[in-house]
Amino acid sequence: MSTIVFFVAAIGAIAGAIGVVALRNPFYSVLALVGHLLSLAALFLLLRAEFVAAAQVVVYAGAVMVLYLFVVSYIGGGATQLTPGGAPLRAVAGGAVLALFAELAIAVLGSGLKAIDSDGAPYVPGFGTPAQIGEALLTKFLFPFEVASLLLLVAAVGAVVLARRRAGTTLGDEPEDATRWITPRSLFTGTMAEAVGGPHRAQTEPEPVEELRS
Amino acid sequence: MSLVTATVGYAESWWIQILKSLIIFIVGFSMVPLALMMDRKLMGRFQNRFGPNRVGPFGALQPMADIFKLLVKEEFRPRTATGFLFALAPAISILTACVAFAIVPFGNTVDIFGTQVGLYGIDPSIGVLFAFAFSAIAVYGLMLGGWASGSKYSFLGAMRSAAQLISYEVSMGLSLVGVIITCGTLSLTEIVGHQESAGMWLFIPQFVGFVVFMVAAFAETSRPPFDLPEADAELVAGYNTEYGGGRFALYYAAEYFHMVIASGIAVTMFFGGWLLPFGIDPPTWVDPIVVLVKITLVIAIFVWVRATLPRLRYDQLMSLGWKVLLPLATANALVTAILVTVLD
Repeated sequence: MSTIVFFVAAIGAIAGAIGVVALRNPFYSVLALVGHLLSLAALFLLLRAEFVAAAQVVVYAGAVMVLYLFVVSYIGGGATQLTPGGAPLRAVAGGAVLALFAELAIAVLGSGLKAIDSDGAPYVPGFGTPAQIGEALLTKFLFPFEVASLLLLVAAVGAVVLARRRAGTTLGDEPEDATRWITPRSLFTGTMAEAVGGPHRAQTEPEPVEELRS
Repeated sequence: MSLVTATVGYAESWWIQILKSLIIFIVGFSMVPLALMMDRKLMGRFQNRFGPNRVGPFGALQPMADIFKLLVKEEFRPRTATGFLFALAPAISILTACVAFAIVPFGNTVDIFGTQVGLYGIDPSIGVLFAFAFSAIAVYGLMLGGWASGSKYSFLGAMRSAAQLISYEVSMGLSLVGVIITCGTLSLTEIVGHQESAGMWLFIPQFVGFVVFMVAAFAETSRPPFDLPEADAELVAGYNTEYGGGRFALYYAAEYFHMVIASGIAVTMFFGGWLLPFGIDPPTWVDPIVVLVKITLVIAIFVWVRATLPRLRYDQLMSLGWKVLLPLATANALVTAILVTVLD
């Protein structure tokens, strides 16, 4: 039973990973990544790491990938197909592949894969439960845990600052006057008067700004 | 023994698991027309009219007629739609809803035919995170449906619902942290057991958490006043605009199913699950009925709020979620943690 589940999940994970890079439509790439993450969660379940599996689904498949899908379907989705990169990009990619291969080769040759003949660590009751993970995070791994939370806080503050700068404001400014964003319309761009065939009232630019300001 | 329940102290035989899945499936799907009927009938009463009263006694068979009507309708598909995703999306919605319903406990472990059977689908050690994981996947049902329809109304509705769901998921999760800290466990049956031994339902000490949870649950189930994903005045019907027939029925059922699940979790977490107030201790076979009655009452609150409050604007929705509910839920978790540490 667990062998079948393992092979289904493993094939799903590898197929998803291949799909992310092979599919030309970015929307389907993101969906392939979702499939990959769900397969990984199934593999975690096989290792009796229930909490890690749930966190994987809630955080990565649920929140992060939805945001990816959000962005891709707004700005990239369907219409634009990804094209193969140029020569420099391919050179960089080849370099990365070589580096990864060397790293894996060192790891395999260094350890000699001795553990693969043994049965692995025995199962301890309570392993992988939220209680044990919480205990490990607050005792053994307290420092990395706190540093990671600080890092995430910095990232969140940075995102807020960047978003405000993009909108044309800096921190500490008064809220923007909304009427500043209403640009005077140029003529013959689909006003209601043109649509009903009425005469254009004036050849100068209209000034709806004054009414809105009150 | 299934994978998720690996840490449960006893193993249920496979035929009991299949039987339990079937019963939970049937009970869940019977709750959906009930919720639908309550929604329409109560809304009618709130608005000083009768509501449906033509099909069957008191109009009680109206949901069946609705479902039959939807099932025999033509399965229309727009030319711009993406075929397989268009068909897959409603299935994701209903599937995740069914699976998430499995953790709502209807009673403690009982003796049936000489074996120990828990009156719930599964009781994993990750408890309510199981439901959150599947509601996280349910977002894809809406997003893929909206995107694959190839229609702007569907697309905008899907984007709205995705933003709304992932915003309120945070507050919803954090609002339950207080309960989890108080009980010291994630397992739903053990949370009910804690309420039994403490002699107090958790909505009293965890009142802030309860309020935040209910508001977030309204948003998570896209019920009014948070029904922006299908604001009919702006978006026709949101992500399911292009759907008709059986697929629309799936979306519709999934929506009410989510309401039933949210009510079930609220009942378990805050209203003592299968317990009765004032220390009444009924025989075991009453337990599932108590849970069902409590779920029905919480659904009535959903309908009541729908009849009372107008729909929020989009910016109001976002500022309520991020600036009010999230700080409240965080403060609740923090205060609960401090109190639990001090009082121990």
